[in-house]
Amino acid sequence: MAIPRNDTVEMATARANIYGLLADVFRGAPSEVFLSKLREPDFLGALRDMDLSLDGVFERTSQAQLVEDLALEFTRLFIGPGPHIAPNEALHVEARSGESNAYWGEQTVAVKKFIEAAGLTIDDSFGGMPDHLSAEFEFMQRLLLKEAEAWASEKDELATNILKIEKRFYDEHLSQWVGNFCVKVIDATEHPFYDQFAEVTKGFVDFEKDTLQDLIDETEGGNRLSA
Amino acid sequence: MKKLNRRNFMTLAGASGAALAVGAGNSEKALAGNVTFKNGGRDFSPVTGKERQAIPTACWQCVTRDAMIGYVEDGRLMKLEGHPSSIRTLGKLCAKGQAGVNQVYFPDRILYPMKRVGKRGEHKWQRVSWDEALDIVASKLKPLRDAGTPELFMYQYGRHKASQAATMYDFMAAYGTKTIGNHTSVCEAAKWVGQESLWGGMYDNWDYDKTDFVVNFGSNQFETHTNHIPTSQRLIRAMVDRGVPLYTFDVRLSNTAAKSTEWVPINPGYDGLVMLSMINVIMNEGLFKRDHFKFMRVTPDHHATTDQKIAAVKKQVAKFTPAFAEKRSGVAAAKIQEIARGFAKAKSACLVTYRGTVMHYHGADQERAAMLLAAITNNLDRPGGRVMGVGAGWKAPSTPAAKVHKGLHVKDGFKGEAAYPTHHVSHQVLPVIKDGFAGRPKVYWWSCYNPGFINGDNNEWQSILKDESIMPFLITSTITYDESSQYADLILPDTTYLERWDWEDMVSANQIAEFYIRQPLVKPLGEARCQGDVWPELAKRIGFELAWKDKKDFVRRSCEMTPGVKEAGGFDYMVKEGVWHDPNDKGNYGFYEKKVDVSGDGVILDAETGVYWNWKKAGVTSEAEAKKAGYLGTKGAKGAYVAQDIGGTAYLAYPPNTKFTKSGLLDFYSDNFKVKGLPPFPTYTPTPEHEAMADDEMIMTTYKVAVHSHSRTTHCKWLTEIKHDNPGWINSKTAAERGIKDGDKIKVHNKLGAITTTAYVTEGIVPGVIAISHHFGRQHSGIYGSGKSNPINGGASADPDAKNMTWKKHGVHPNAIIPNSSDPISGTQRWMDTVVRVAKA
Repeated sequence: MAIPRNDTVEMATARANIYGLLADVFRGAPSEVFLSKLREPDFLGALRDMDLSLDGVFERTSQAQLVEDLALEFTRLFIGPGPHIAPNEALHVEARSGESNAYWGEQTVAVKKFIEAAGLTIDDSFGGMPDHLSAEFEFMQRLLLKEAEAWASEKDELATNILKIEKRFYDEHLSQWVGNFCVKVIDATEHPFYDQFAEVTKGFVDFEKDTLQDLIDETEGGNRLSA
Repeated sequence: MKKLNRRNFMTLAGASGAALAVGAGNSEKALAGNVTFKNGGRDFSPVTGKERQAIPTACWQCVTRDAMIGYVEDGRLMKLEGHPSSIRTLGKLCAKGQAGVNQVYFPDRILYPMKRVGKRGEHKWQRVSWDEALDIVASKLKPLRDAGTPELFMYQYGRHKASQAATMYDFMAAYGTKTIGNHTSVCEAAKWVGQESLWGGMYDNWDYDKTDFVVNFGSNQFETHTNHIPTSQRLIRAMVDRGVPLYTFDVRLSNTAAKSTEWVPINPGYDGLVMLSMINVIMNEGLFKRDHFKFMRVTPDHHATTDQKIAAVKKQVAKFTPAFAEKRSGVAAAKIQEIARGFAKAKSACLVTYRGTVMHYHGADQERAAMLLAAITNNLDRPGGRVMGVGAGWKAPSTPAAKVHKGLHVKDGFKGEAAYPTHHVSHQVLPVIKDGFAGRPKVYWWSCYNPGFINGDNNEWQSILKDESIMPFLITSTITYDESSQYADLILPDTTYLERWDWEDMVSANQIAEFYIRQPLVKPLGEARCQGDVWPELAKRIGFELAWKDKKDFVRRSCEMTPGVKEAGGFDYMVKEGVWHDPNDKGNYGFYEKKVDVSGDGVILDAETGVYWNWKKAGVTSEAEAKKAGYLGTKGAKGAYVAQDIGGTAYLAYPPNTKFTKSGLLDFYSDNFKVKGLPPFPTYTPTPEHEAMADDEMIMTTYKVAVHSHSRTTHCKWLTEIKHDNPGWINSKTAAERGIKDGDKIKVHNKLGAITTTAYVTEGIVPGVIAISHHFGRQHSGIYGSGKSNPINGGASADPDAKNMTWKKHGVHPNAIIPNSSDPISGTQRWMDTVVRVAKA
């Protein structure tokens, strides 16, 4: 059965949106403006559809206080000092070489090379390493936007190849650690905001596992794109 | 939660797109550039050959600062090795140096600026941007400067040397504060003060390549020496290749003592007495060499003949017979005689001293005794002897000092505490600030320093840091959360030494200066920033400009300004090669014998001292005024020193280039000491606390182990795996008297409190002493340093090695029961004089 071209564009764009949003969530503490957007009915409704809720987050405190609380919780969870859960792949995955986990591990190098092979580099102003969760998510976002652009301009081979590249990055990196990382965050966080977003992230990464394969199957399995 | 399906996924994606359009408040993105694929992405491959680089740089794990090579693969530091072209290190690097890799990548590292949001010590932090952090700093510092009170900003450092220190001092001068503290009094100040009172601003070195005999007092040369790698390998080589004997006097059988020809156990505090006793033997047996006496002053008379000096030295040491020394030091008289004779008869001989000798009551005077022993045997600054250290003399850009440039007098201890604190009394800085008699800084910033851990009575230091009423704003630059940074108001993430630029200048072991640089091996992790890059930006926010734009610029311009380095190729050469020395340099010996032309305009001879000095440079208005006041009576005279008249010849001799006003002679008889009521000639002065000890009391000494610095390495897992506990060494006889067996838990206590550790019962320590190393018992410093399990996953506990830790002990910190107590001469911290009681716990 032919897949409508608009669907492929829409699907890639939709996935890009979620990766982009989650990249922002894990890059730094949220701003007041961003929180205002999250408390709009559309977003809260989308969470409710997944049996998740940020209602308690917004109800229990003022917006200004919430910004302050989340800044502290973000620092405590992901920055330190002292015990924290640094959102870096190299700290959460057993290295293939058997070397112990540390910053700039072999996964960091692998992610860096992956990013560079796609024509991108780590921005000088970025304070994280290439295997930071927000960098990995942003990388997927950028691939997906390129994929959507390719579908829209009928560069189907390029789009399909990008899809395969997404899957490879997912298989080699995201699938290896993000789920476990989210479980750690859920166990450790004292704030429902990060609890719920860790749930969303975990759920989305699980969703991507089947989705990526399905999308490749759909585009490679003899299905022809329709206008 | 419900599993995502395409329907709720699309709902979420739509809402996400709307929120994404706003952004989470982070304008920064992780990635730059555009997604591009060759061949339409058909042959996409992120796997390429590894890129390997070997980059010359320099270590910073300890003050030795060895030149080394870093091997970097795909942007990751893989390995550190010695620099094969370094004339200092000869290609060697110690275990600490090799474990520098851990400094960059330990998972608990601080990578982002943070401001305190709870109470001090409550561990509540909020990440802030560098912009915000520097705005906060500027908002504290600018008003102080604008109000003409820059001295209310205090900066204190632990390890700052070479360009790291130069850039900091340049900023501080341009800002206007002289309230800059160091850490030298907990390290070695007495040694420096003792030497400065004699031969000027020096740092002694030992010419092991040429020596025939070595006597070592209280220096753990083979494990932890201040110039470890350059000197230790040379001493070992001398012993193995040339059969040079090494006698080590130490209270403890250190690995240096164990590797020596003979370990000579000695009671703590008596090194100087044994040296005076050796001098007694050498003088009485006529084994001294007359050569150096002409450069010595041993009586009030600057013009005494050599025979008069010999007689005076004999008289001064007459009472310090080997038998007298044996009674107190525990060293057999016959052994003192044997070693004294060997030392004096050797063609050349090195006399080594360090903390075991000088971190005592009158430690500076014990160093003076060491210098006297070297001088009467003509082993001062001679090939094979105790020589004057030679380091690289870099030129560097500098910024004019601020018009208002002053400091608080909080650095030299309490009134009357130390006669000559020329290297300050760093261990009393916060107690003095708490007292308030010299004022209190409003902003206190410390860097590469852990004051709440490394000083005596460290719990008191922490309580001062915690008290917001004493100092209202605290800043630290650090790479790790520790006993001090937990009380900061603002934490700035520092780079490790492997991520920054510097030029370096540590003393050579072969009398030839080595110029070397440190360059970044990898990009700083996270948002860590080198202080040398922060100073220029902070200056702009406060309202002034520095003469250099960042640390790299400072190093680059220094390379282009420094004679020798410049001609070799300057910065580009140093980046490529890392090290440079003058191939025609034959080594610096015997500078004091240089003959000086004294015919210059304004040069006059001072009759009393025999000093040639230039009255026109001494701040006096006429030659008549200069002659009337005399050299010693003119305030600015020492800066006008030209030469010393010795038997009608003008020698450079030993210029008074420190705070000590003196002639060009080695001032073994010191007017400076006499006027302060201190012994003018080296002598033995009992330690008051030891004289008053009860029968059941003991002396506690501390020491370093080979694989740790005092406070900056316990988060390095390779090192902490090797050494993580510090039992108390106690002699079997002393232990038996207290019913203590090897491995027993013991309590060590005094009026400051109590610590509990394990007894290591051994013959390798003199009776009546307990020795506990001072690196462990960390409150913080990650799981390897403190042993604390993280309450949540992540950080160090994400490191599988943390689960493989085979050790459960993490030691105890002896500083908690060591009072901050100063040598009354130099102000040095008396680490080795602490009186305690020890009992089975």
